[in-house]
Amino acid sequence: MSQVFDKLLDARGQNCPMPLVNARKEIGKLEPGQVLKVMATDRGSVADFQGWAKIAKNVELVGQETESAEGANVYVHYVKRTA
Amino acid sequence: MKERGDGTVWTAGNLLERLEHREKFFVLDVRNRDEFERFRLEGRRPVPAINVPYFEMLELGGKEEMVDSVVASLKQGLAEQLPKDMPILAVCAKGDTSEFVMQGLRRLGYASATLQGGMKAWGEHYATRAIVETPDLAIHQVSRPARGCLSYVVASEGKAVVIDPLRHLHPYLDLARTKSLTITTVMDTHGHADHISGGPALAAKTGAAYYLHPYDAIHPMDVLPATISYEYIRDGQTFSVGRHELATLHIPGHTLGLVAFRLGDRYLFTGDSIFIRSIARPDLGGKADAWAPLHGRSLRKLLGLPGGITVLPGHFSSLDEADEMGRFAASLDDLKKRNDGLVMLQRESENGFVRYLLDSLPKFIPEYVEIKRVNAGLSAPAEDDAAALETGKNVCALSQAYVASGGGQE
Repeated sequence: MSQVFDKLLDARGQNCPMPLVNARKEIGKLEPGQVLKVMATDRGSVADFQGWAKIAKNVELVGQETESAEGANVYVHYVKRTA
Repeated sequence: MKERGDGTVWTAGNLLERLEHREKFFVLDVRNRDEFERFRLEGRRPVPAINVPYFEMLELGGKEEMVDSVVASLKQGLAEQLPKDMPILAVCAKGDTSEFVMQGLRRLGYASATLQGGMKAWGEHYATRAIVETPDLAIHQVSRPARGCLSYVVASEGKAVVIDPLRHLHPYLDLARTKSLTITTVMDTHGHADHISGGPALAAKTGAAYYLHPYDAIHPMDVLPATISYEYIRDGQTFSVGRHELATLHIPGHTLGLVAFRLGDRYLFTGDSIFIRSIARPDLGGKADAWAPLHGRSLRKLLGLPGGITVLPGHFSSLDEADEMGRFAASLDDLKKRNDGLVMLQRESENGFVRYLLDSLPKFIPEYVEIKRVNAGLSAPAEDDAAALETGKNVCALSQAYVASGGGQE
């Protein structure tokens, strides 16, 4: 079941820390209540987005899923700006 | 690979040399906490380290870019946790983020370096050391230093037998090429739990026969037969390597099908039975009560071998177990005096030793059940998942707290 989102950040092919660095920038441009969908190919992003969402202010990780496309995994993160 | 001329980039090979030579440096590990807890850099001595996940630096520093956030974090208190009198090695999962961290440290004047390829490269680094190398006989110890896994290439007259090859095949293929060896036989001393065997793949690649004891071709928890193709190893069976012969000893305990290989009175490949500082645990098949007595009897059988024989184990727990040449090897007589498990074996009754074994079991690693499936061909993980299964140092030995704490007293 896919999550509703307001903006998409395609970070596929980006190495750590860029998916998270770029997600922070995009979140700053959203209105409170809006959701950013981040697509990444770095497996480490799954645990890192969880750890980051716990300490970051005004951010909530509302969902994560793994999609398989052409034999490669895409790790999807839904991040909501809360305030 | 050489490190970058200015010393800012260390390869896994550079790192191993520094650890072996007890060089002083400090680690700033920016992975998340779970990864740090599960798999840390360890040398002959503990490497001083702190863990500050990179995303905490981003929030603490509050800057948009990584390097700026590192600098801001240092200025806001992180610097107080870092020593000024030794190099700071920035470490992350794959070596990209640590490059930014190194740059941030440099900007504030720290002597800093980044670990190229991160902990992934360190975990997959191999080292090859000669135990003996004469025209008549060569034994190469091939290790994965970060994981504490050991394997062997035994060569004579251009022929080679590979014992317990690890998951990546390049160290064995490279050695065969540079030493002009034909790999004729590949064998596993047992069905491994802590790492994925390279045995079946190496045999397929070289056309060699792959051997395993049939008891270890049944997954002990699933009770399902292996789907890999293998030849049976029997107790007493001999394998020729050029002018030499390896004789098989069936020594059940760590697994039911564990075997050791003996090369005359000179070398004993013990697999997961006798290590340098300790002995193997009997519980990874989930049947510790039933297997511990077998383990004790098998170890007593090995104790009866000539004392001058050189033990070549399947694992180590610390780089400090190596000799000054970085090799993990010691005579049986020597180990009778300083190996915790063998000391207990000589001191205790049969029942007392079983009690010691069962009281010294480290935490069970859940991934080990799945790794045994992979080794039996019952599961075939993708590269990412295979690497994740093998994360961190092996836990195949008994915990050593027992002897150190004077355990065993009634």
